[in-house]
Amino acid sequence: MIPLVKEVSEDNLVSSIKDWLAGGQLRRLTFVTSLDGKQLAVLLLDPLSGAAELWFTPLKGNSYKSLTLSFASCHWFERAVWDMFGLEPIGHPRLKHLLLHESYEANYYPLRANDLLCQATENDRCYKFLEVKGEGVYEIPVGPIHAGIIEPGHFRFSCFGENILNLEIRLGYLHRGIEKKLTEVDWKKARFVAEAAASDTAVANALAHAIAVESICEIDVPPLADALRTIALELERLSMHIIDVGGMAADIGFLGVSSSMSRLRGKSLEIAQALSGNRFMRGFVTPGGVSLYRAEEIGGIRANLKELANELKPVLNLFRENQTAIERMASIGVISKALVEDFGIVGVAARATDVAYDTRQYFRQGLYPEFAPNVTVADSGDILARTLVRMGEIDTSIKVIDRVLDSLDGNSCSVELPKKLRADMVGLGVVEAFRGELIHLMCTDSSGKIKRYAIKDPSQNNWTALSIAIRNNLIADFPLCNKSFSLSYGGNDL
Amino acid sequence: MESTARGLPKLTDSPCRGTSCNRCAEICPTNAINVFGSGDTTKVALDLGSCIGCSLCIDNCPTETIRENRSTELAVRRREHLLLINDHAVEKEFSKEEESPKTNPFGMSLSARVVSTGCSACDLEIGAAGNPIFDMERFGVRVVASPRHADALLVTGPVGKGMQMPLKRCYEAMTEPKSVVAVGTCAISGGVHKGSYTEANGVDSVLPVDVYIPGCPPHPWSIIDGVLKAMGKKR
Ligand code: SF4
Ligand code: SF4
Repeated sequence: MIPLVKEVSEDNLVSSIKDWLAGGQLRRLTFVTSLDGKQLAVLLLDPLSGAAELWFTPLKGNSYKSLTLSFASCHWFERAVWDMFGLEPIGHPRLKHLLLHESYEANYYPLRANDLLCQATENDRCYKFLEVKGEGVYEIPVGPIHAGIIEPGHFRFSCFGENILNLEIRLGYLHRGIEKKLTEVDWKKARFVAEAAASDTAVANALAHAIAVESICEIDVPPLADALRTIALELERLSMHIIDVGGMAADIGFLGVSSSMSRLRGKSLEIAQALSGNRFMRGFVTPGGVSLYRAEEIGGIRANLKELANELKPVLNLFRENQTAIERMASIGVISKALVEDFGIVGVAARATDVAYDTRQYFRQGLYPEFAPNVTVADSGDILARTLVRMGEIDTSIKVIDRVLDSLDGNSCSVELPKKLRADMVGLGVVEAFRGELIHLMCTDSSGKIKRYAIKDPSQNNWTALSIAIRNNLIADFPLCNKSFSLSYGGNDL
Repeated sequence: MESTARGLPKLTDSPCRGTSCNRCAEICPTNAINVFGSGDTTKVALDLGSCIGCSLCIDNCPTETIRENRSTELAVRRREHLLLINDHAVEKEFSKEEESPKTNPFGMSLSARVVSTGCSACDLEIGAAGNPIFDMERFGVRVVASPRHADALLVTGPVGKGMQMPLKRCYEAMTEPKSVVAVGTCAISGGVHKGSYTEANGVDSVLPVDVYIPGCPPHPWSIIDGVLKAMGKKR
């Protein structure tokens, strides 16, 4: 997709965004970033028309009036912009570093093209957690290294008795410099870097990258490639939802269900491997199509999928119908619909509050929107609702894969790419990853090289929801609540 | 590995003809391949410690010098043993200095602490190695929650600046004897992140590594193979 590019002056930015958002239903301000530190860039999506607008606002100095004051959903992104470009959002209510820690030199801004326009206020990158004061209030620090096998992050709980009064989440430990790297490698090799942003989301990342490249090159992929991409995207959702639902069962202590789910996830990975040669489908989706098509495997895939569906059913029912499990999940970690709307929460967490936002309904990706399943929603906004949405999506993913397998046609699965990317272009890929709305934005320079590559992982919207959901809940509820959001550290830290 | 898996590349004896073909080196996303020499003496060097298993070199090699390798017994104790060269002379030299068999201080079982600094696929595969399908525990391997309880530290990911300090602290908190296993290409060399401003160039640059397990991510069997090597149960 090529977004409509437009320049908006700094003075008019907030009012223009407000007008634009008011101009149609479901319109979203997705994220704020910059190209090289000389401007702000705001990406706006209009799902109903399937269109996007990218607004540039030239800046005169190193600072601007924080957009967070008008649009709460910008707060996380403005912190990232501060770290990567040295642009300070004046008035931001909780300006703290997000990606670069103390171990980085002060005043070092990796994505800035030029020096700061004027001397910045001293920036020593020190980080202060919010202090909750009062008699009997104490803190629990957890991380960055966790007890289990997961990515690193730091949670700082302020508690009173067993109650969590506040949770502050500090991330950035996994920052690997992905966005910068994407501008340094040859664009034909960029997909491997884009995919490694979060490899549990390899297909969705590769697909968003491919759509962005293809839009710049103005190429269409063969229908077979679109079909195989759809299957891959849903297989990824299936595998990850299975592991997440299994993880919920494990945290509740429902070990029979959790072991069955981890065994069944193995089955879905085997299907993924039969399709792509790799359990995580790494390297499968490429700009121009997909890297391989094994017609001889399709029969086996169909049979295995059927078997998987049959085996999943009783296990999911056992979990869904277990009163102890339901009581453990209900009314805990609740987020409201209003919070979802104000903070731009996406994916399963949003759909669990009856916000039916699913980019598969609106934006071209694989065979979507034509083949998009009905959106699975729940309305209680708690751990149970998020788990039920995942279970519902396990069903719809299987149905979609089944349908697409029936419609495979042709044998050409990719088209040749041009030698060069077109100059001075902006390409965009919007994909519904298993965690929600994933966006890749790429801009080329006058010689057709990638000059800016931005990734907006769904987790970047949703980490805030977790810290709010857990307030006034028990410490013992945190692991379960955390799992029910299932957020990515790598995708956030990039 | 199952026949549907593509696996990592291996080098064969089949000579790489002429210097005009440099395709594999050009196409490799992580510069893991080096073609050197000329004419009949052209040789290919492939660093499995940088390879992310994209299969492009295999698909584009006209002389079948580079082929698929579905073996999962890939872990090594010395970094240079991941450097493959399709030259008999060199190969012999490598086999002379056998992988130094380490006496096994851990007995029949091993407690492992996992620290992730990567994209999460490696972590998921370590998790999978413990699931009912692969069942790493039957080999006496247990994943523990504290470095104080751990004999071995399994590290995934390229260890960028943000994780260097926490990783060192975790290592220091472990009691002797202890060993470090680098799980996955990122952990070995930085993989696709090598050379970035975040100094994400692998575990080696922060801690001494005892066993390297290549793959992006390594297959659960490979992970089990590597952990058994760390235990001295396998050479
Ligand atoms: S399979 Fe490995 S060595 Fe071959 S091109 Fe890919 S990354 Fe390079
Ligand atoms: S080696 Fe590959 S799978 Fe493992 S952390 Fe690195 S990019 Fe991810």
